[in-house]
Amino acid sequence: MPLVFTATQARFEDVCTVEDALPLLEFLKSSNTPEVDLSPCTWLHTALLQLLLTARPRMAASPVDPALTRWVAPLLADASRERGFDG
Amino acid sequence: MTTLLERFIPEAREYLESAAAGLLKLERDPSDEGLVNEVFRAVHTLKGASGLFDTPGLTRLLHAGEDLLDAVRSNLLALDPEMVDALLDALDRVSAWVDALQQQGRLPDDADGVSVALSRRLRALLPIADDSMNATAPAAAAQQADWLIELPEKDRLAAFAGTVGSGSPLLAISYVPDDGCFYRGEDPFNLFPQLPGLQALRIFFREPPVPLAETDPFQSLLAFRALVAQPRGEVEHLFRYVIEQVDIVSIPPEALILPEGDAGGESLHQDFFEDAGLRLAARDFVGLRSAVATLLGETDGQLWVASALRWLDAVLAAPLPNASWVSAVLAAIADGRAFPIGEAASREAPAPAPAHPATLTVAAASPDTPMAARILAEQLRIVAMQGDHDMLPRRMAAVEATVGSLLASLGWSLRDKELASATAEAADGAPERLRELITALYNRVEAAVAGPSPVPASATALLVTSATADSGQTVVGEATQVAHVLKVDQAKVDALMNLIAELVVSKNSLPFLARRAETVYGSREMGREIKDQYAIIDRLAQEMQRAIMDVRMLPVSEVFERFPRLVRDLSRRLNKHIELKIVGEDTAADKTIIESLGDPLIHLVRNAIDHGIESPEQRLATGKPEAGTIQLRALQEGDQVIIEVSDDGKGIDPMAVRLKAFEKGMITEEKADALSDQEAINLIFLPGFSTTEEISDLSGRGVGTDVVRTAVEKINGHVTLSSRKGEGTLVRLSLPLSMAVARVMMVEVGDALFGVPMEGVAETVRVPRDRIRRIKRSQAFVLRDAIVPLIQLHDLLGLPRKGAEVEEEAVLVARVGGTIVGLVVDRLREGIDVVLKPLEGMLAGMRGYSGSALMGDGRVLLVLNLKELL
Repeated sequence: MPLVFTATQARFEDVCTVEDALPLLEFLKSSNTPEVDLSPCTWLHTALLQLLLTARPRMAASPVDPALTRWVAPLLADASRERGFDG
Repeated sequence: MTTLLERFIPEAREYLESAAAGLLKLERDPSDEGLVNEVFRAVHTLKGASGLFDTPGLTRLLHAGEDLLDAVRSNLLALDPEMVDALLDALDRVSAWVDALQQQGRLPDDADGVSVALSRRLRALLPIADDSMNATAPAAAAQQADWLIELPEKDRLAAFAGTVGSGSPLLAISYVPDDGCFYRGEDPFNLFPQLPGLQALRIFFREPPVPLAETDPFQSLLAFRALVAQPRGEVEHLFRYVIEQVDIVSIPPEALILPEGDAGGESLHQDFFEDAGLRLAARDFVGLRSAVATLLGETDGQLWVASALRWLDAVLAAPLPNASWVSAVLAAIADGRAFPIGEAASREAPAPAPAHPATLTVAAASPDTPMAARILAEQLRIVAMQGDHDMLPRRMAAVEATVGSLLASLGWSLRDKELASATAEAADGAPERLRELITALYNRVEAAVAGPSPVPASATALLVTSATADSGQTVVGEATQVAHVLKVDQAKVDALMNLIAELVVSKNSLPFLARRAETVYGSREMGREIKDQYAIIDRLAQEMQRAIMDVRMLPVSEVFERFPRLVRDLSRRLNKHIELKIVGEDTAADKTIIESLGDPLIHLVRNAIDHGIESPEQRLATGKPEAGTIQLRALQEGDQVIIEVSDDGKGIDPMAVRLKAFEKGMITEEKADALSDQEAINLIFLPGFSTTEEISDLSGRGVGTDVVRTAVEKINGHVTLSSRKGEGTLVRLSLPLSMAVARVMMVEVGDALFGVPMEGVAETVRVPRDRIRRIKRSQAFVLRDAIVPLIQLHDLLGLPRKGAEVEEEAVLVARVGGTIVGLVVDRLREGIDVVLKPLEGMLAGMRGYSGSALMGDGRVLLVLNLKELL
């Protein structure tokens, strides 16, 4: 199971696929202050990225993967800082 | 071979043919915009499709062709014969490569080199050299990728530095996945990190995101825009499965120069611009860069001016800074927020031809005005600038240098010393002439740019293609259009036809069965029922046969379409003016017939060009129009297709033919004299005959006409030739419409049954014994006042006679090679339809038979080839 949930945190482990979209959505809906830990993630499916961009949870740990660090982290960092969408 | 490649090959051939045909028509009528678009679209689509395969050489060459055609399409260039030659050569090469792809699954080893050479030849014909292309490109590129400013300036600066340093091309990619892409297993975002050349990426919702509570996690809402420094082929390969949702546009580096930031702050001091202009003229880029750095240190980084200065710094940081870019950025900074190319909000039509510098600045502000125009506008401003008189000569020298290098990069030139003398006058305080000169240049640049950018209303179809340019959508669109045309492998149709032909033949066994029911089993009723059933099956079988024949029918245009090219190339080479007329190209005939027509027709048309049509001088001398005419005409006559090749050239001289045939020892002197003119002309069909003295590479090797006759007779056709000296020649090929099922007349000789092809049978008669005359050792009889020689088929075939003494002889009167001959047989039988199979194996070489056929009762019928037999 690539996504590991605790009460307030979702941990993205290794390859996270579209199968994880529904559990992630449930998690994001259920928690008032959801947090995500992207550090172990190596592959983030677009559907998951889309959910993260919609919900803008706080990023407890940034990704380590270079591609995610370069292209995804800034987006989510902005999102959690600004809490506003400028798209 | 992959299925994709299998599909690509026939498609590629179609596009190549239509492009080549279009080019030839265009050469005659260059004003036909529809045709230009058609040719462009064919090449463009082909290029797009070829990107799916590992064939960079092929794609590159097509791309070069596409660019050239695009220039023609945009009226930047008038199509001339040299360009048509180059384009046709390129298409020929691509066509050869497509053949190689089919046979070996890859391009020949030398493909890359050849491609580079040919592409260079094509590109050399482009109106403006590569450098200056960039100067006009931003307007177009900015229209296609007007979102570049959305990318972070940092990324753009890095990409700019990278591409200017390495010269690698930049692509702007816009990818908008559709709602359901997740269901198809697509993962749009993760495609991008797979691009090693990814420079910048923007991910955004293509419509405002739905609140989390209502969101459907499986509906894709994101869109992507990226900047990539990587060859197009690799990018298209990565996006090959979603290529129709991706828009890939090549952008020149300067399209990235889009300063952003807050307006305001103090405008820069005039000194800076004067100093910068001078340094620019002196090519002192290092000095200019340090001046920029100093200024940048004093400016608030959030301001637009600071951003513009950062861009100026980036432009200057290049190993060889591009002076026109430097000048354009300087002009933009001087004008305030005039520069952003990609700012969609301020897209106005360029101002009309400027009357004085004030309006010029406005025009320069328009994002659609390319770099060259802006530079010229800036020069005008400098010329008009008031100020220190001592500085004037230096300023003017700077203007002269800038305008001079601009002209050089555009490939334009002025009259000798015109620019120098105008600047000299300006330096003396009389700037009028220089101003006029630069204004004129400005107008010319505007005209060159305004041409291609606005899309004419009439060309809406074109708009669709260019809007989706490079996205591959055109391919998809056309594919859906022709969806009800089923492309089937020819072999399958052939197999089906063979089956139907067998059915046609085996239904013939039913009448035998009916007769057996009557005679052997004594049931008349049964016999009649079988006959009734036979009538139904017979009708269905015939309908099926007709239907399959229809499928196999091809229009003669299939073979005719290569001739415009052939005639054009040969007539250019021989310096003859020849017009080709094609009539009746819709006439259809069986595929086999059409396919075997190709070679004979090429020989005939070559002969007509080489031997038939005279040189323009000769023609004028004999009172003919300068341009000769060759006509290809097809028509249907009964169950025959007639193809005529005629020319209005010098015709064939029967005397010359007689002489030649005699010299070559083909006929004796007496025979030569005895021949009629028509008979003499027919001599040219003899093997090894040629009347032309020297052997050219076109024709005259003395094989042409012989080949024609052999090929045509192989498909049961025949050739006639008529010619009048000085007036022209007409060659007429008569061919059967179809040859799958042949009708033969059955004859009994001895105990054996033989078939004689129906087209050779003139009539059948019964000749009483006493009417047969004996002339020396041969026999003959008189048929309607003509003497018909009689031949005993028994003797020819070495078979015994059956009924030795009969009152009347059964005679089949046949037409063989233009003469009439009577064949004596034992019994004449009915005609039947058979599927003629050539003799194979050990029997293949046997002369006298054209093949065998299976009859309804299971017996094998040998079909005679009378021509070989007699």
